[in-house]
Amino acid sequence: MTDFCSRVDRLPVLGLGVSTEYGASLAAGALDPSQLRREHPRYAGFLEVGVELSKGLDDAARAWAAGGAATTYHFLDINLDEPEDLDPEWLAGVHAVCEQLRPAWLCGDAGLWHFGRRDRGHMLLLPPVLIAESVAPMAEGIAALRAATGLEVLPENPPGTAFVGDLHLLEFFARVAEAADTGLLLDCAHLAMYQRLTGRAPLDGLDHLPWERVIELHVAGGSEREQDGFAWVEDEHGPALLPDTWAIAQAALRRASNLRAVVVECERNPIPAVLPLFARVAAELPPHMRAVSPDRSRQP
Amino acid sequence: MNPRAIQRAIVRMMYDPAFVAAVHGTRPVPGLGEPERVLLRQVDRRAFTTDRFRRARAVQAIVDEYPASAAAIGLPAVEVFLSSREFHLVLAGRGAMALAFGTWLSDQAAGVGRVEAAMALLRRPEPLPAAPGRLRCASHLAPLTVPAGTLAWYEATLAWLGPVPLKTLAGAPPRPGLPRRSPVRKREANEHLLIERRPDGGMSLGTASEGLVRLLRHAVTARPRDAVIAEAITRGATPQEAPALLDGLLAEGLLENT
Repeated sequence: MTDFCSRVDRLPVLGLGVSTEYGASLAAGALDPSQLRREHPRYAGFLEVGVELSKGLDDAARAWAAGGAATTYHFLDINLDEPEDLDPEWLAGVHAVCEQLRPAWLCGDAGLWHFGRRDRGHMLLLPPVLIAESVAPMAEGIAALRAATGLEVLPENPPGTAFVGDLHLLEFFARVAEAADTGLLLDCAHLAMYQRLTGRAPLDGLDHLPWERVIELHVAGGSEREQDGFAWVEDEHGPALLPDTWAIAQAALRRASNLRAVVVECERNPIPAVLPLFARVAAELPPHMRAVSPDRSRQP
Repeated sequence: MNPRAIQRAIVRMMYDPAFVAAVHGTRPVPGLGEPERVLLRQVDRRAFTTDRFRRARAVQAIVDEYPASAAAIGLPAVEVFLSSREFHLVLAGRGAMALAFGTWLSDQAAGVGRVEAAMALLRRPEPLPAAPGRLRCASHLAPLTVPAGTLAWYEATLAWLGPVPLKTLAGAPPRPGLPRRSPVRKREANEHLLIERRPDGGMSLGTASEGLVRLLRHAVTARPRDAVIAEAITRGATPQEAPALLDGLLAEGLLENT
């Protein structure tokens, strides 16, 4: 296997895109990704499809894929650090979805997506335990999934209210990226949650990251919550960014020299409500990402 | 340190407030070393309970598969499961919450609990070990012997629960009249049921003869043909008709060759 820095040249530039997951576009007033692409092609260069295999793809994702536009596959059901989770049945499902979507790469939160086996009522999302011993199992899972699919697998920093461990979140993911020889997906809103919960400034620890490995960014609005005096940020994918998130996104856009894709996560909002956010992000994109990617933008 | 042990403890803290208290307490916590416990204690304990509906969603998932059992014992009792050893074992391994609930339920919901636990098991077929030359009960069937009146109580309770059982159960006391095993174990105090997982994933439930159910229960474990023939004879078939009876059950798909 060649190292990631040489493989990165084969990854297409997808530009600015939008996300979806099963049933999201059916929510009252929710945006239709294909409509966004028709009306504002600069904001919908690709669709990031959240996939929980037990649910499959909804009509909006199928329609997008049938139209031949670019996609990425965001997994919602794999504990990367559990080798038994990469079972043949799950992998067969991933292959089947990849046949339909022809994604540029796989990505997704590198955390705990379910307890026990995959089953009804078991799904959740928790960040990894941020200790040195967590790095190798996570890296092995990423490498195994990459080998099984032939696609790059970009781990994403998950959201959370309880981050356990003595490593900075970004140091943890830097170690994972190095050990798995992979790229990274940085979720700016999730990082803002972590920084705030752990009493850090928004840009604290950015130097930990190997920025040349950051291939994709996520930007999304969140809401501040408080319960029993404990404050945290809800990852609600709304149209209003917290200032911390925007500060992180701006810094990341400047530093990520190999950036290929930025997703504005806002799938359950109406198009008019999210246009200002798309415009704000689009204005900050580096020059090489401003053109809409061609359909099925895969480089040879 | 063991990251998996820590991660499982985090999940348990999110479902079980008593475990949060244990982690922050002074007594040893089985499965957690002191360094792991120190890490967990460094996080504000309120951070583990920000999702106020996490336990409710788990209860809903259980009620979806055990509506009549939940009616029999009441929702507060269902929630007790989330602090049980059986639930903790799901977190510690690759278990299924619905199956663990059936184990925890034991006889609390009598025959109705056994019916719904059998359905949960049928929904999750596992590859069976090869046992060449043996017969076993077909993997889409569950033969059960339960207290008489169980089927009627089950069906009446489903009708009472309506389309949204959780809504009906909220605030309701345990539903009375659950048939229980007679303290004097008379044969007529039982009824014999056969549950079938249909190809569409749905379940069919009906009564069957005692002889058939007992024969199929005998064959839940794969056995040599001669052993199943002997059981058929014990259940009333003549030595002459038993082989043909087995062939008939095989042809009907009630028994299968392994």
